Amino acid sequence: MNFRRLVKLAAVAVGLAAAALSTFVAIGLPGGKTGGAVQVVNAPAEMVARGKYLAEAADCAACHSAPAGAPFAGGLAMQSGFGTIYATNITPDPDNGIGRWSADDFWRALHDGIRRDGQPLYPAMPYTSYRGMVRADADAIYAYVMQLRPMEVANHRTQLDFPYDIRLGMIGWNLLFLTDSVPAASTGSSAAWQRGRYLANVLGHCGECHTPRGMLGQMELSEPLTGFALGRVAAPDITPAGLASRGWTAESLRTYLGRGIAGPDSAFSDMHQVIVLSTRNLTAEDNDALVTFLLGDKPPPAAPLPPADPAVLEAAASGAGRGDYVALCAGCHGLEGNGVPNTVVALRNNSTLRLADPRNLLVAMLDGIGPENFPHRASLQAMPGFANKLSDQQAAGLANYLRVIWGGQKPDVTAAAVRALR
Amino acid sequence: MSLPTRKLPTRKLTVTINGRRRGPLDVPEGMMMIDVLHEMLDLTGSRLGCGIGICHACVVIWDRDDQTSEEVQTCITGADFFNGKRIRTIEGIAQTNDRGEVTALSPVQQAFLDKFSFQCGYCTPGFVNAATVLIERLRRTPVPRAEVEATVTAALDGHICRCTGYVRYYQAVRDVILATPGLTRDGA
Repeated sequence: MNFRRLVKLAAVAVGLAAAALSTFVAIGLPGGKTGGAVQVVNAPAEMVARGKYLAEAADCAACHSAPAGAPFAGGLAMQSGFGTIYATNITPDPDNGIGRWSADDFWRALHDGIRRDGQPLYPAMPYTSYRGMVRADADAIYAYVMQLRPMEVANHRTQLDFPYDIRLGMIGWNLLFLTDSVPAASTGSSAAWQRGRYLANVLGHCGECHTPRGMLGQMELSEPLTGFALGRVAAPDITPAGLASRGWTAESLRTYLGRGIAGPDSAFSDMHQVIVLSTRNLTAEDNDALVTFLLGDKPPPAAPLPPADPAVLEAAASGAGRGDYVALCAGCHGLEGNGVPNTVVALRNNSTLRLADPRNLLVAMLDGIGPENFPHRASLQAMPGFANKLSDQQAAGLANYLRVIWGGQKPDVTAAAVRALR
Repeated sequence: MSLPTRKLPTRKLTVTINGRRRGPLDVPEGMMMIDVLHEMLDLTGSRLGCGIGICHACVVIWDRDDQTSEEVQTCITGADFFNGKRIRTIEGIAQTNDRGEVTALSPVQQAFLDKFSFQCGYCTPGFVNAATVLIERLRRTPVPRAEVEATVTAALDGHICRCTGYVRYYQAVRDVILATPGLTRDGA
C-alpha cells in the first residue's frame, strides 16, 4: 500500500472514529453482557431440522469450521486487506462458544453485527447480508446450533492493522454501509424469484464474494454480483448478463449448484466449498428459486461460443501456446479439449476460459487445483500446477491459445499479468 | 482389407536419456512420453499406472540446466515437452558397465531391497526416482536430522503403492539419508 493511500485511509478512519464517538455518546454503548446463565434450548425437532437446513443455506459451516477442525468450532483464518480475522466458535460451549447467548443475542449478531458483549463484529461475518433474515429463521438457526455438541475450542484473536483494530470504528462503518436490503442484480417478481432473492442475497450471502468491494471493504451495492477478487481466485460476474455471456443456462446452473459439476464446468476454490456445504443441500424448489433469481424471471439467452476469427485461430494453432498445450495439458484434457468424462473437465466452452479476466485461468495453470470430492460420489483428481514448467511468456501464450480457441476471448494475456500472479 | 487410418502430424524429438542422446525421432503429436519410452526407445522400466498424473509410477527425472532435478509424470506429459532436455529413467539409476550390465545398485535401490520395501514392484521405479531426486535436493540443501522423517513423507507423498508398502519405502529412504554424510545437519 502506498503512502498516499495510507494517509487517505487514515483520514477516513479518523472520520469514522469521530462518527462512532458521536453515535456512542448519542445512544450509549449497546448494553454488553458477559457471564450469565448457560442457555438451555429445548426446541421442537422440526424447528431444529429447519434450523439445520437454514444454517446450510446460510453456509455458516464454511467459515465457522477450520480445515480439519470440529464443525462450527471456528478457527478459520480469513485474510483481508486490513489484517487477519478468525471465525469464532459458535457451538454452545459456555466459555468458548455461544452457550450463554440468548436468541435475542443471536439475532442481534446476525441483524446488527453486534456481539453479546456489545462489541461490533467485523463484516467478515456477513451480517451485512444476514440483516435481511426474518426473525423466525434466525431463531431456527439458533435452535439448531444450540443443540450441537459444545466444543471446548478457544477462539483466536483477530489481528487487524491500526486503525482497523479499533472495533468501535465499525459503528461508523455500519452507519455508512449497513443497509436493510441488498439490491437485486436481476429483474423479476415471481414467487420463485422472491424466494431466490432471499436465498442468494440474505442466506447464501453471494454478494459477499461476488460483489466488488470498496476501499473500506464495503460491498459496492451499485454493481451487485459483478465479480471481485477477494482472494487469489476471483469470484466471477454472476449477473444475468455475466452468466449468459459465458454460456450458463438455468439448467446448467441448477446442475452446478446441486452437483458442482455441469458440462465442462466444475467448482473449485471457495465455490467448491459453497456447493459441498451449502447449495447441494437446497431442495429442488429452492435450487430452482436461486437460479431464477440469478438469471431473472426472463433469463437472457446463453451466448454460444463465438466463432473465432480464422486468422486469429490460425495464429493460435501454429504458435508456441499450442505446443505447450500439447506438451503439458493434452495428456489429460485431450488434443481437442474434450477432457475425460467424470475424470478431467473439458476446456472447450469452459466458463473459466470464457471469462474476460484471465486471472482464474492463470491461477489454475500456475497453482493447479487440489483433488475434490463432489456430491453423488463424483470426484476429480488433482490437477498439477505448472508454475515451474512454464515461463511467464509461455504461460501467457498458453492462456491466450486456450482463450482464443475454446473461450471465445481475446489473446490479450501478457507475461506481466502472469508474473503478477506468481 | 485395412482399417482407415488418419495420419497424425508429427514433431521432431531429440532428448538426452541416461546420458545418451536419442533422436531425432518423428513423434505423433499428442503422444505422451511414456509411450515414446516404451514403444520407440525400448525403455520399458517406467510404469504406466493411472494415466492421469496421480500415481507417479511413471515419473522420470528431469535434469534442469540449473543443476537441479525434479520428477515429471510421463503419462501426462507430451513427448514434445522433453525436446532438447536431459532426463534419467529407472534404467539409468544403477551403475552399469560397457556391456550394459548392472555393476552396482544405487544406495536407494539397495536400501529398497534390504528393507523388502516392495511387493509387486509396479510402483518401484517411481519411488526410486522420487527418492533419488530427494537425495539430490538434500545434497544441495541439507535438512536438520529432526526433519528427515517429515521431509521423506512430503517428498514421497504423491507416490501411490497399492500393496501399501509405504512404511518400508519411507524407512529405507530415511535410513539412506541419515547414513549419507552431507544430507542432514544438526540442530534446528
